[in-house]
Amino acid sequence: MRRIFASVRDGRGFDIMLVGVPFTFLFALAGLPLIYNILMSFQEVDMFSLGSFIRPFVGFDNYVALFKQPETIPILTNTVVFVVGSIAGQFLLGFGLALFFWTNFPGASWLRGLFLVSWVMPGLVVGAIWNWILSGDFGVLNFFLRESGLIDGNIFWRSDPDFSLWAVVIANIWLGTSFNMILLSVGLSAIPGDLYEAAEMDGANAWQRFWTITLPMMRSTIGAIISLGLIFTLQQFDLFAAITDGGPNNSSNVAQYWAWDLSFRQYDFGRGATISVIMTVFVMFAAAVYVRSTRHEVRG
Amino acid sequence: MSETARNRLMLLIAFVMAAIYLFPLYWMYVTSLKGGSEMFANPPSFWPTAPQWATFTFVWESRNMGRYLWNSTVIAFGSVALIAALGTGCAYVLARYRNVWVDIGLFLILMLQVLPASLMVTPIFVGFTQVGLLDYPRLAVILAIAAKSMPFFVVLVRATFMAVPLELEEAALVDGNSRIGAFFHIVLPLARNGILVSAILIFMQAFGEFVYSKSMIQDVSLQPASVGLNSFMGPNTSEWNNIMAYATMYVTPILAIFVLLQRRIVSGLTSGALK
Repeated sequence: MRRIFASVRDGRGFDIMLVGVPFTFLFALAGLPLIYNILMSFQEVDMFSLGSFIRPFVGFDNYVALFKQPETIPILTNTVVFVVGSIAGQFLLGFGLALFFWTNFPGASWLRGLFLVSWVMPGLVVGAIWNWILSGDFGVLNFFLRESGLIDGNIFWRSDPDFSLWAVVIANIWLGTSFNMILLSVGLSAIPGDLYEAAEMDGANAWQRFWTITLPMMRSTIGAIISLGLIFTLQQFDLFAAITDGGPNNSSNVAQYWAWDLSFRQYDFGRGATISVIMTVFVMFAAAVYVRSTRHEVRG
Repeated sequence: MSETARNRLMLLIAFVMAAIYLFPLYWMYVTSLKGGSEMFANPPSFWPTAPQWATFTFVWESRNMGRYLWNSTVIAFGSVALIAALGTGCAYVLARYRNVWVDIGLFLILMLQVLPASLMVTPIFVGFTQVGLLDYPRLAVILAIAAKSMPFFVVLVRATFMAVPLELEEAALVDGNSRIGAFFHIVLPLARNGILVSAILIFMQAFGEFVYSKSMIQDVSLQPASVGLNSFMGPNTSEWNNIMAYATMYVTPILAIFVLLQRRIVSGLTSGALK
């Protein structure tokens, strides 16, 4: 007993305790739920069987029933559109801004940091603001679009099934652009400047320098940022709750919002768990790509 | 073009871009000051003609914001305390050694970092119901947030510990310090700033957390401000000035912290996420 105590105070036991406690905690509150989720996806779980551990085992019934539902395929398609649209917008805008601020004039880094307020704001507040900006009759976005002659009539962003998903995509692009820009700036500043001097002496113009130096040097950064973007867009929940609520008629519903909706609005926890399991597989895949592209950091 | 002229031009363009990007934030503040009819004016006014400061006191009292913000603060502080207590030591060990086990641990941490809260909430909710944790809903939310955000904290703080020279700790050990002594007297003080910045980041995240609170806290008097904002925004609401006033009172403290500590937060964030 005393030897254990001494080791915790002054030896290997100290390290093991420091790592052991948090990992036990994480296992209990993240690992176990993950396993429990898989178990529940094979069970029938509703309001009545919520409290009991023994529940009817239904095999793959949840999965089969899920894919028979007419809304499943549209919602999965929405998820893909949401992810691809958001990442493309965030990345391109973020890269453009990062390249601009990279020219390094006085005040650049301070102004660049200011952009990050979009990222530290609570997601629900961002959603509320965009809900108001995007509103049909009195929204200020419609006003700008009308004034610039891009549209004739008002677009009902939140209630028109053709636009509702894009309403959330716009808000999500705004939310994520700054984060993309900051991380891309870090990558850009890590490129050694003499590469550009050498290329300039050889007569390469700005366009050629971008394609032959900047992009290749940024490859691992870009890979990490795209996979981080995928992870963050698949986590996006607050904007859906604040802007469209998945509607109208599921036209802006995505898998991660649907999973919550099934569990907490329709009280079909088994089916909610089933979608969670399917989505978790995708997220894990994205995470594996992310870890791979930052493995230099991980290995030290 | 001279160097100064170029710099001025670039700064001007940067200001314009920042203004466009931050317009939604400006629109929140302006709308919160507008009156009922000015809010729906066409064309919209971009500066409130008669600022309605009374909106703030009205919303604060009618929506019971003091209680909501108190709950948000309790949840955020609880989460940060738990995460910092557990995560700091974990980050230290993961930064100090370099072997297969550390690699595996980091890999697990990164994997846990990515699990979306809206997917994890189903099993966590069912599990918490079964063990009776939902009788203490705010504690349940704190535990869930801690599990969700701790990996991020560990990754950020580990980057800080990597910058603390190992020699300093070894010198302290040679001087007769125990491991615990060296950790608390040498390593922690040196890493204090990085830990503080990461804790502030986690605090801001937890202050705005929504999914777990919405799903697990049924009692209105225990709900945080994010849930309060959500129930304020009905599907056909027209009191946008009041909602924006609510949003203003909710985010302004966060924005103030951010603007004050901007440089440190940005550098702390970038050192951990990638490099």
